[in-house]
Amino acid sequence: MREAYVIGAGQSPFGSYPEETYRSLFETAYERALDSVDGDLSPDRIDEAFLGTLGVGGRQIGLSGPAVTEHVGLHGVPTTRVENACAASGYALRNAVSAVKSGMADLVLAGGYEVMTDTSADQTKWWLGVSGETEWERLSGTTFAGVYAQMASAYLNEYDATPDDLSRVAVKNHANGAENPNAHLGFTCSLEDATAAPAVADPLTLYHCCPTTDGASAALVASEEVARELSDVPVRITGSGAASGAVGLFQRDSLTSIPATVTAAERAYEQAGIEAGDVDFAEVHDCFAIAELLAYEDLGLCERGEAPRLLREGVTDPDGDLPVNTSGGLKSKGHPIGATGTGQVVEAFEQLRGHGHVQVDGAERGLTHNVGGSGGGVTVHIFERGFGGESA
Amino acid sequence: MTRGIAAAGVHVPRFRIEASTISEAWGVDHASGIERKALPAADEDTVTMAISAAIDALARTDVSPEALDFVGLATTTPPLAEEEFAPRVVRALGGASGTRTTTATASPLAGVDVLERAIEADGPALAIAADAPTGDPAEADHRLGAAAVAFLVDDDAPVTLVDSAAHADEYPGVRYRERGAEAVDALGVTTYERDAVGESIAAVLETLTADELVGAALHQPNGGLPYRVGGRTDLTNDAIERGTVVDRVGDAGAATVPLGLCAALAAADADDATVAIDFGGGGAAIGLAFAGGLDNAPAVDERLSGGETVSYVRYLRERGYVVDGEVAGGGAHVSLPSWSRSLDGRYRLVAGQCPSCGGLTFPAEGACGVCHDRGSFERVELPRNGVVDAVTVIGQGGAPPEFVPQQERDGPYAVGIVRFTCNSEEVTIPMQLTDCDPETVAVGDEVRATIRRVYADEGIPRYGSKAAPI
Repeated sequence: MREAYVIGAGQSPFGSYPEETYRSLFETAYERALDSVDGDLSPDRIDEAFLGTLGVGGRQIGLSGPAVTEHVGLHGVPTTRVENACAASGYALRNAVSAVKSGMADLVLAGGYEVMTDTSADQTKWWLGVSGETEWERLSGTTFAGVYAQMASAYLNEYDATPDDLSRVAVKNHANGAENPNAHLGFTCSLEDATAAPAVADPLTLYHCCPTTDGASAALVASEEVARELSDVPVRITGSGAASGAVGLFQRDSLTSIPATVTAAERAYEQAGIEAGDVDFAEVHDCFAIAELLAYEDLGLCERGEAPRLLREGVTDPDGDLPVNTSGGLKSKGHPIGATGTGQVVEAFEQLRGHGHVQVDGAERGLTHNVGGSGGGVTVHIFERGFGGESA
Repeated sequence: MTRGIAAAGVHVPRFRIEASTISEAWGVDHASGIERKALPAADEDTVTMAISAAIDALARTDVSPEALDFVGLATTTPPLAEEEFAPRVVRALGGASGTRTTTATASPLAGVDVLERAIEADGPALAIAADAPTGDPAEADHRLGAAAVAFLVDDDAPVTLVDSAAHADEYPGVRYRERGAEAVDALGVTTYERDAVGESIAAVLETLTADELVGAALHQPNGGLPYRVGGRTDLTNDAIERGTVVDRVGDAGAATVPLGLCAALAAADADDATVAIDFGGGGAAIGLAFAGGLDNAPAVDERLSGGETVSYVRYLRERGYVVDGEVAGGGAHVSLPSWSRSLDGRYRLVAGQCPSCGGLTFPAEGACGVCHDRGSFERVELPRNGVVDAVTVIGQGGAPPEFVPQQERDGPYAVGIVRFTCNSEEVTIPMQLTDCDPETVAVGDEVRATIRRVYADEGIPRYGSKAAPI
């Protein structure tokens, strides 16, 4: 089978940019992605585009994808808008990989965009709630914070874990994000700050929740032939795993696991020919602190109930055995829904090329993990530095 | 033929306020003869109160909801000014679609009226009075309370209807509500009002054939009126006291006299006679005379003495006096047809049992949530008791827009995932917790499903099950 490579990736700054539009934010990400390509890339070589967004706050429900590609001058390029809530651009990347591997395309743009901070508080809550299970879960009175808080309550009840373990996610990811100039909340916080912050949905405090963010991200996925022509150090996508799950938390077997993550990870590891834990770093979907703990376990990075130990022992710190969310994660870097999945790719691309803001020593293989909603759709991708596969 | 009352059920909302709390707040007492009263929580209304009282009544008999031939609902405060609400109650109870229904709303007299209509009907019948009137917070509100009572009427009943009588004359302005208004009002022409009520009730009592009366539930908008009215008759104060509840529940509109009747019948012996006489503003009165005592009835005194006492600020919030109820930014929309499809799940927790693996799926639609096969589910009603598997508290600012009005009234709420076990299979349902301090709910707690108002979408109130700690 053909191989697929990331030869360029870039993101706009993540944050609150009411003066920007989703098109202008994407333009920044797109330009940065082009600039990151080692060789001289003419944009007219882009065959296809897959772009993720939840719904850009309702301002362009239909055809926002073509609106974006036309805006950046990719005139006529077939563009598909991908919607899988917060996993929209994880799935956009997967579509790009499929297009390249199938031979239908040689160079594909994958990306995402979202504008969230220029709407009223009520409108924002409305949008954040529409990707949960509406008829029962939402109408029990929850938004996503409430659903993840329920997972946290079940986790704290089932395992030897405390609210401080949730706070450790915030402390670590804020420390990483403070080094990332593109981060939305690029400041550090203490364990005390995080635990003592106001409750959003018990046991989750404000510091256990990611912000709502404006931003865009883009990645250029190329065939090996194109990668050899345009890239000195490409990043090979060796595994693309994805899985769906019940949209409502109550419809799943477990409240302390996201089954779709387990399945997506197994598929990605198998495709990449690796075992869980054979990665040097991971960008995981930490929309709420509990989600990072569940991710460690669902991705097989540790046994059930062991996630707090990883945090307490610093295993996932930048200088630990398995750094997680060196970008700052959704917690600190920010979570512009549709842009988050390919935003993680930007970090993987930079880490594997040695340009991380918080660089992991000797990074050769990385993982990205993108979750839609509370687990209705998940992608896991494995990235490896350099050429391989077809020509190896 | 010994048709009459076979059982009764009551719902008194858990929140109570002392009348002195209100008079201290205003520096004046407009709740004569009332010590404390009940108020509905933000997610209660006359439909949910009616359902709760009906379930309480049915639980005291072996009559199944499907067997009901008639359901009458009386309230002066329906959730919408015009609509039949008895069908919602029938559906929530699991009654048959052939049930004859009536909804009476014109005045407090509606309570006694639907009770008589239930007795006139054939077969097992429910007469429910549920009311929670509101009035000017500066005056009329001081005495207004809330309650619901349901009488199960059947043949061969221990309490039989001996006689009924009515009186009509034109007495406007005694108790009325202007078109489009929320607040019940009175012109306050004291002597005229007292005479209107007194003459009407005395006229009914004179016409009624009954043995010596040991109990009398008379029109009771305040604590003093039934005794003043009774003074025009041969009724003893003891008899009136047996049927007077307004002093502990407030003026609960159409439900006050039925609640007094329930208390009096529960205290009566088999050969005792009891009357219920109510007056409707405008000038109508109806009296019903009963013989016998009712064992299948709740202890009304106990229900009235319990509850959780609230402050006046909490009172104003819960009752909605200081909250407009507008949903900002648009709430979650579920079309009425979609909602209607889900009613059995929302009211009666009907889940689907998979023919292949036996596993339970809720709601009962789509592929089996356990084995993912697509067979046709057997529909099973889950037991109403479950266990909390996960829970969080949604604070102010964290609620979806459609729950903000409720939160403004009732404060933070808990939301859990509740596990139900049926035929040794388990299934979980996301449920809001109600009737509790949200901070006290923990994983492992036992809860019971109770029907409450969920939200209003496109102006239409929607009801479903919430979980109350046991």
